Amino acid sequence: MPDTFFTSPPDWTIYIVPYFFVGGIAGGLYLLAALLHWRGRAADEPVVRLGYLASALGAVLSGVLLTFDLGRPLRFWHMLLQSERFPLPIFKPWSPISIGAWALLAFGIFATLSTIGAWAASGPTRFSRLRIFYDGLPGRILAAVGAFFGLFIAGYTGVLLSVTNRPIWADSNFIGLLFLLSGISTAAATLILLIRWRAQCESTRSTVQWLTWFDGWLLLLELAVLFAFIVSLGRIAAVWLNAWGLALVLLVMVAGILVPLALHFRPSMFRESWRPHSVVAGAVLVLIGGFFLRVVVLAASDAISRTQAGLFR
Amino acid sequence: MVIMGSNMAECHPVAFRWPMKAKLNGAKIIHIDPRFTRTSAVADLHVPIRAGADIAFLGGLINHVLNSERWNRDPFFREYVSNYTNAATLINEEYRDTEDLAGRFSGLADYVESPMWAYNAFVGEYATGSWQYDRGDGQAGPARGTQGQMAAGRPAPTAQTGETPEGRRAGAAGATGGFDTDYDALVRSLRTPPARTDPTLQDPRCVFQIVKRHFARYTPEMVEQVCGSPKAKFLKVAELLLENSGRERTSAFAYAVAWTQHTNGVQIISCAALLQLLLGNIGRPGGGIMALRGHAAIQGSTDIPTLYHSIHGYMSHPSALKEHETLEQYVRAETSPTGYWANLPKFMVSYLKSMYGAAATRENQFGYDWHPKIVGDHSHMAMFAAMADGRVRGMFCIGQNPATSLNASLERAGLRRLEWLVVKDNWLTETATYWHSAPEVKDGTVNIEDIKTEVFFFPSTQVAEYEGSFTNTQRMLQWHFMAAKAPGECRTDTWFYYNLGKRLKRAYTNSMLPRDQGWKNVLWDFEPDPGTEPPYPGEPDALKILREINGYYTDRPTEHLPGFAALEHDGSTTCASWIYCGCYPAPDQNLTAARNPDPPGQSGAHLGWGYAWPANRRVLYNRVSADADGNPWSERKRWVWWDGTKWVGHDVPDFAVTKPPGAPANPAAIGLDALAGTDAFIMKGDGKGWLFVPTGLVDGPLPTHYEPAESPVRNPLYPEQQSSPVLKYWRNDRNRLAEVGDPRYPHVITTYRLTEHYLSGAMSRWLPWLTELQPELFIEIGTALAQEKGIANLDRVRITTPRAEIHAKALVTNRIGVLDIAGKRIHHVGMPWHWGWMGLSTGDVVNTLTAFVGDPNVSIHEGKAFTCNVEKA
Amino acid sequence: MDHPPLPILPQTAVTTEPMGFYTDTTVCIGCKACEVACKSWNLLPAADGGVTEMSGDSYDNTRQLDGTHWRHVKFIEQFPTEYNGRWLLMSDVCKHCVQAPCLEVCPTGAIIRTEFDTVVIQSDACNGCRACIAACPFGVIGMNDVAGTAQKCTLCYDRISVGLEPACSKACPTDSIQFGTISDLRERAQQRVEQLHANGVNDAYLYGADPNGPLGGLNSFYLLVDEPEVYGLPRNPQLPTRNLMESAVLSTAGAVAAVGLGLVGLRKRRMDEISDERGATSDE
Ligand SMILES: Nc1nc2c(c(=O)[nH]1)N[C@H]1C(S)=C(S)[C@@H](COP(=O)(O)OP(=O)(O)OC[C@H]3O[C@@H](n4cnc5c(=O)[nH]c(N)nc54)[C@H](O)[C@@H]3O)O[C@H]1N2
Ligand SMILES: Nc1nc2c(c(=O)[nH]1)N[C@H]1C(S)=C(S)[C@@H](COP(=O)(O)OP(=O)(O)OC[C@H]3O[C@@H](n4cnc5c(=O)[nH]c(N)nc54)[C@H](O)[C@@H]3O)O[C@H]1N2
Ligand code: SF4
Ligand code: SF4
Ligand code: SF4
Ligand code: SF4
Ligand code: SF4
Ligand SMILES: [Mo]
Repeated sequence: MPDTFFTSPPDWTIYIVPYFFVGGIAGGLYLLAALLHWRGRAADEPVVRLGYLASALGAVLSGVLLTFDLGRPLRFWHMLLQSERFPLPIFKPWSPISIGAWALLAFGIFATLSTIGAWAASGPTRFSRLRIFYDGLPGRILAAVGAFFGLFIAGYTGVLLSVTNRPIWADSNFIGLLFLLSGISTAAATLILLIRWRAQCESTRSTVQWLTWFDGWLLLLELAVLFAFIVSLGRIAAVWLNAWGLALVLLVMVAGILVPLALHFRPSMFRESWRPHSVVAGAVLVLIGGFFLRVVVLAASDAISRTQAGLFR
Repeated sequence: MVIMGSNMAECHPVAFRWPMKAKLNGAKIIHIDPRFTRTSAVADLHVPIRAGADIAFLGGLINHVLNSERWNRDPFFREYVSNYTNAATLINEEYRDTEDLAGRFSGLADYVESPMWAYNAFVGEYATGSWQYDRGDGQAGPARGTQGQMAAGRPAPTAQTGETPEGRRAGAAGATGGFDTDYDALVRSLRTPPARTDPTLQDPRCVFQIVKRHFARYTPEMVEQVCGSPKAKFLKVAELLLENSGRERTSAFAYAVAWTQHTNGVQIISCAALLQLLLGNIGRPGGGIMALRGHAAIQGSTDIPTLYHSIHGYMSHPSALKEHETLEQYVRAETSPTGYWANLPKFMVSYLKSMYGAAATRENQFGYDWHPKIVGDHSHMAMFAAMADGRVRGMFCIGQNPATSLNASLERAGLRRLEWLVVKDNWLTETATYWHSAPEVKDGTVNIEDIKTEVFFFPSTQVAEYEGSFTNTQRMLQWHFMAAKAPGECRTDTWFYYNLGKRLKRAYTNSMLPRDQGWKNVLWDFEPDPGTEPPYPGEPDALKILREINGYYTDRPTEHLPGFAALEHDGSTTCASWIYCGCYPAPDQNLTAARNPDPPGQSGAHLGWGYAWPANRRVLYNRVSADADGNPWSERKRWVWWDGTKWVGHDVPDFAVTKPPGAPANPAAIGLDALAGTDAFIMKGDGKGWLFVPTGLVDGPLPTHYEPAESPVRNPLYPEQQSSPVLKYWRNDRNRLAEVGDPRYPHVITTYRLTEHYLSGAMSRWLPWLTELQPELFIEIGTALAQEKGIANLDRVRITTPRAEIHAKALVTNRIGVLDIAGKRIHHVGMPWHWGWMGLSTGDVVNTLTAFVGDPNVSIHEGKAFTCNVEKA
Repeated sequence: MDHPPLPILPQTAVTTEPMGFYTDTTVCIGCKACEVACKSWNLLPAADGGVTEMSGDSYDNTRQLDGTHWRHVKFIEQFPTEYNGRWLLMSDVCKHCVQAPCLEVCPTGAIIRTEFDTVVIQSDACNGCRACIAACPFGVIGMNDVAGTAQKCTLCYDRISVGLEPACSKACPTDSIQFGTISDLRERAQQRVEQLHANGVNDAYLYGADPNGPLGGLNSFYLLVDEPEVYGLPRNPQLPTRNLMESAVLSTAGAVAAVGLGLVGLRKRRMDEISDERGATSDE
């Protein structure tokens, strides 16, 4: 039996799957907004604002989910400050969960500042001093650093899983990469839907097109990495010979990746009358796929406890 | 070390520390058990055996040993056996062995119940006269009890009561006692000529030859047939035992209730004793047969007995069935003139002084008349059989849970007929709640309104809530202190008895009835000294009780007796229990509280730790640890030896300290003076270890394999004699037995304990830390049976016997399984019996399956071997 | 009346040498005294108030180590056929790893290494993130729902720091669990292995006694007679951070690729727009 099978599940599924999902989207959203902030056009500004706002909300939600997951939520701050030598900070750069906590804090700050900046830049002049978080070089540097943290949040969750001794998670090094790509891709899908909902107009059409294009390539990459991940597990991949495996194939690979890819690159495969909805449908499917990717990776591992790991005897 | 008839690791885990230490020192451990248990897990060899077949196995070992090269070559064995056992003694000419009578001994007759008490329940009885030593007078011992018998030793418990002829007297013997009895002269008058012997061990009537013939049938093939134990494993056990016995090495046996709970339980132990005597493993360090006793102080409860047949210190209880009218008659009937028991008059008179104090005088035979007498078997099963017939009106149930006990539905039928029942316990047990929660009440078979019993419940303290003493399995008394105060109204058992006694005494104060004089005169004063605060109001002083047990000079109560050698039969000493005399030799010396171990690395007996009766000896009959000349058998096994002037050693010598090894016996003397310097077994009339048991057993002088009362096979050894011809069986509709080989009950079942629970579970099934470890009742069945019956692990199954049907979960395992018995494939199954309906973890009462059948010597039940059926429920 | 003096509880001098357990599974009798002693000393609740079902897995009904079972006795039946085999018994506990995976990942610093070189979770600092549970290669840690924190054996820090032996080893009747300084224990264990080899038990070996072995050695190590996996132990327990570098590099590469891809896309959009504008102009 592989060594990882002698460990105990942390039972992370309930809050942590939503956290990983939301965190990935939030981080990805910030990146997308920052890309448009840097290299976009003036017409992208509402999208940038929307992206920052959504990423800030996502960061807050992430923090809430993470806190609720704790056995003692009121001690969330113990991850940042030493409870016994308050207010000395605690920071373990080799522990993803430790850096992750700091990164989430940093990301939340950046996302909030960028949101405020973008809002100030578009809104009443009374708060124009806050435009500094958006305008010019400072704003862009802020965006660049924020994007770094955004990417971090999107990807560290997978690294966190690998830096354990649990089956599947610690048996491959691809989960971080996989979650990162999936995070950006789900962020793109989210942004597409947000644009459709709040900012649909002629000027955002090309933004949506960019997002769709970007997402398509991300999905292709993700599919490749997913295969690499499964291959890297070797015979341990057999743990998916169950309902979770079915979910992996149907919900993650087919519904979450292949169908959206087809919608992007081969719209002709679909009936004429469906095509107007293809962008929205694709985005929704990507979100479903991204969600279940995390469900499958976490739950399949959490379901393995030493007492029932007869699989490899 | 052979562990057989016990699951020592699971049931005596703390004591099992020592076998494990021995194992680390290179000892080999053998476990012989129907199941592969946690003891087997750490043993070097596990040998499966069918429950109830131990005599066949041990008999096989005896036969093998006697015919082995090693035993016949090494002079040690011959020397030990001829010096220290009765191998050379000649047996009465009229003796007939099972070999001659197809499985029976001479003297078998029908048993007739006494009209006074019809619950003795023997299916037959032996007149034991023909089993006696040949004393050269050319006479067979009379069929009904003789003085000659007492000359040899003491009767079996059931015989002590007078239930069997051994103890009964044909007519009045000797003068009835006046107050001027000279007890020494009386004892001397009991002397008989010494038994004849053949030191060459050649005479066909000598014990050695009888034993050899008796066990010749027990071949390895026969062992395999009867026990189902593979021949190769049996031979391995024999080999290991022989290798590990001799001058340099000793082997020990450890057993517990899987040897006792049989219709021939006493004979199993006797058989082991025979084997160990042949191997020279008795009375020497590292040898012996260790009875692993059950409860923490169960040894104490036989020493200061809660048993029906004896009074303190293993004296027979005065009985209405015996010639026990007067003290003199009692002494005449119970005293062995030779050996240490010749002192019985001193023990008895000192005991009566402890009972009746100043009221006990020479003139009134020390109050002997006031002492109650028994009328037959008043043991557990007999009493409940009587109770079920409505012959018992009330019961104090103190520290027992009979509602889950043997043939539990019969016992509960008994409980239902009581007028009143007092339960004094730490918990509301099944016995306290049978009238509203027993299965037969719940399912409506019995109407709660029809139960007229008035039930009283008294909350009890726990052992750590008062001080007192434990006597452990090593006969060692250890004082324990009060660690915490009991909650609420909980009171100790001593409180209860003491205050009940005080009230009864008060109630009888004005009675003039003769039968009440005992109560009026009984000495009942353990009041704490003025100024001392008892732990509970009204609690007696535990040390005053200990003082009475230890004894004191009658006219100087603060002067305690130093030991039982100081006892007198003139009333000048008061001592409740002669064997405990010496444990509290002075008011400031409670030796039971001593805690001084020997320093590490020293091979001592730890004489400074607690106090072991008798006289703080740790190994009984330890004179045998030296050879006939008094030298240690070997350096390695040095224990007690003669230093030229006296016996010395690591232990307290179990011998007359200054009697030289070469001292001859004095044929005119009584007591120890009648024994020679090699007569090491000083409690025996002839000073010998008994291979052949002329007195003491009611079911034969030698162990013989009989089948349990319920068995799937005919007795392969003696097909004409299926089970013990004298076992006890209580006839009752609720106590039906399966026929031999009844196809409706094809499996052999045994019952046992788990480390995680305690007995009826009353004490363990309420404790979450224990119930999570063994949450449910189960039955262990082998994979073959599971397959045959389509039973999967954890399936619910139904277990049936002619008495009842219960349910349990199946635990399918290869630790138990099929045994080939007498050409039949027999499935062996087993159940722990800790469950009942109270507590956190509840389950069916396993004892509803068991029957009221018992050993004829001691009335213990046969809960260890019966037959059943198992089906998927 | 005066009783003879009772011996004082034997006290081991408090040393700050590495301390731990040597567990000789060949003398374990599966009595579970260690399990109960631990619960009793540490006041740990029984599962479901003690009202549970039997597991059907031999005599093991608690099944695992977790937040309320800091000791757990394993029962491994190896019987190819009836009456023919062996029953391995082993009392499992935290290994007090010299390089402790749980300690490595704990973000709050709740897990500490003590002066006895043991690994202790300070319950008052732990926030229940459960990273340690996933990190421990032996499945030792679990949540204690009463406390809301991750818990495991403390090696009776409260007892050993006042010179008392841990509750479990103290209760162990056969000395299957032995407590002491690691150097002593290793010596004792080595002797026992040699004794067993001399007696023909060639499979006996020590698991976790090697300071150069996995995790720098285990301060609670075992004498076993079968493969580690048979006892539910990993053959080669490792630190979780072994995966950190590779995972981080791959993710970083992915991040760079994604940013690049996004920028390419934006540039493509600009290009497309320019060519569209041109096209539109030329159309005019
Ligand atoms: N944990 C725990 N310890 C206890 C007790 C308890 O309830 N729980 N009870 C205490 C008491 S009161 C007592 S009397 C002792 C009893 O101690 P033991 O006698 O050791 O206990 P049991 O479990 O009744 O039976 C022991 C073994 O005998 C085997 N056996 C059954 N029939 C036979 C047979 O005919 N021949 C042979 N050779 N083996 C057979 C059974 O498979 C079982 O493994 O334990 C004491 N200790
Ligand atoms: N089938 C089968 N039946 C058996 C056996 C077997 O092996 N198989 N074994 C037999 C044996 S060896 C035994 S010893 C018996 C035991 O059978 P029981 O003695 O009937 O069973 P226990 O559960 O020990 O009951 C003792 C009661 O005493 C209570 N108690 C504890 N301490 C105190 C105290 O200080 N004072 C008072 N007043 N009460 C106290 C406990 O709470 C408990 O209710 O069972 C016998 N029955
Ligand atoms: S329960 Fe008590 S008497 Fe029995 S083994 Fe444990 S410590 Fe000894
Ligand atoms: S065994 Fe597990 S819990 Fe114990 S120190 Fe090692 S990693 Fe930590
Ligand atoms: S659960 Fe507690 S002890 Fe474990 S890693 Fe998190 S904070 Fe540390
Ligand atoms: S050392 Fe203490 S905490 Fe650890 S298992 Fe033993 S008793 Fe429990
Ligand atoms: S206390 Fe000792 S013998 Fe009992 S289960 Fe625990 S380790 Fe084994
Ligand atoms: Mo017992």
